[in-house]
Amino acid sequence: MIKSHPSEAILYQYASGDLSAAMTLVVGTHVDMCSVCQQTVCEIEHDLCSKHLDTVVQTLNTPSHGYSGLSKTDTDKMLEKIFSSEAKPAVQPDELICLEGRRFVLPRTLAHNRARIGDWTNLVGKLWRAPIDVGDRGHTNLIYMEPGTQVPEHTHKGQEATLVVDGVFNDEKDVYYNGDFILLDADRTHTPQTSAQDCLTLATLDAPLYFTSGISRLLNPFSSLFFRASA
Amino acid sequence: MQVTSERTSQRGVMNTTQQDTAEKAAELLAKVAETRSRAAFSELFSHFAPKLQAYGTRQFGNEQTAMDLVQETMTNVWHKAHLFKPDRGSPSTWIFTIARNIRFDLLRKNKKRKDDISADELWPILAEQNDNLDDGYALDNDVLMQEIAHYYAQLPDPQRVVVEKIYIEGKSQQEVSDSLGIPLGTVKSRTRLALKKLKELIVEHD
Repeated sequence: MIKSHPSEAILYQYASGDLSAAMTLVVGTHVDMCSVCQQTVCEIEHDLCSKHLDTVVQTLNTPSHGYSGLSKTDTDKMLEKIFSSEAKPAVQPDELICLEGRRFVLPRTLAHNRARIGDWTNLVGKLWRAPIDVGDRGHTNLIYMEPGTQVPEHTHKGQEATLVVDGVFNDEKDVYYNGDFILLDADRTHTPQTSAQDCLTLATLDAPLYFTSGISRLLNPFSSLFFRASA
Repeated sequence: MQVTSERTSQRGVMNTTQQDTAEKAAELLAKVAETRSRAAFSELFSHFAPKLQAYGTRQFGNEQTAMDLVQETMTNVWHKAHLFKPDRGSPSTWIFTIARNIRFDLLRKNKKRKDDISADELWPILAEQNDNLDDGYALDNDVLMQEIAHYYAQLPDPQRVVVEKIYIEGKSQQEVSDSLGIPLGTVKSRTRLALKKLKELIVEHD
């Protein structure tokens, strides 16, 4: 069903832990929604494990004599500390988010970050935004477009990753449905819009939007509104 | 998708030693989970700690941070052994993903604010399994409402009512239970049955 996926290179960085927190959140939420990418990530993790862990000589069947990396004293100290440690409390997921009478069920990864989602604010017209505090430079938001909303044509000074969490939107190029992941570079302009249905998206930007057409260029001085984490 | 199939074939089967090791490690993890066996854990530790230490040293270029990675990864293994699911992958891959998360946190630590985002939030691999989150919600995300709308007609009435309230009206299972005056358990089982039935219908028609 989902037709727009992160590239394998991005999934690889996701699985290695080498993406920014914001990008990890967007890609991880896509993976929650996409069984194809779940499978790919499993396989990449298996490969990474072979590369990073299994390269060291097998030690379980031939106990650790000959390997001098960890002394017996080190080992005993660490074991003792582990046995006396307390389990960290797990992060509590919260999967519901509401706006204007609409309720959405958040996918697993987003649900674990529910506490980082700020309040909704109305941007222009039927466009809403709730910032997500991931602590990175750059700007991550839930964006909600009511039916019949158009974001003025714009380009980005950096990369923009967008994930459809619930609903449908389109730009000049295509129509995007639940789970679709769209990565745009600085040189692409686009005009996202909704028609009959509304749309909740998760979007992260590493630089401001820049509006490119007609009168919407007047918005440029305010474009920071579209992504700033909190005023 | 084409990439996926290539990967699978390229990966092939584990060799016999690897397989034995994986089976043994899975048994040890089960022992730790069920009986909190320190002996079983110590055995896991002596197998995985040197590997994790080597990984940490390569990643950080620093012995002390590498030791922190070993310590924190194995602490999670000790407390969370019950979350290892043998059908999802090998023990070493599971431990690797824990180490990957610890590495992510250790790398952010120096620029860290107090409430900085943690890897446990970004990759909730150590979350306790939660009914609501794992109850087939993926279906909701994967399949467009309008495309499955006509399958709804084929569900028995009691199941359809519950599913419509949850997926179309966006009510929680508790709210549905309250508004229909039926037990929460019934709501859950009807949801599960309905989703299973829908899945079958969709696969049939694919």
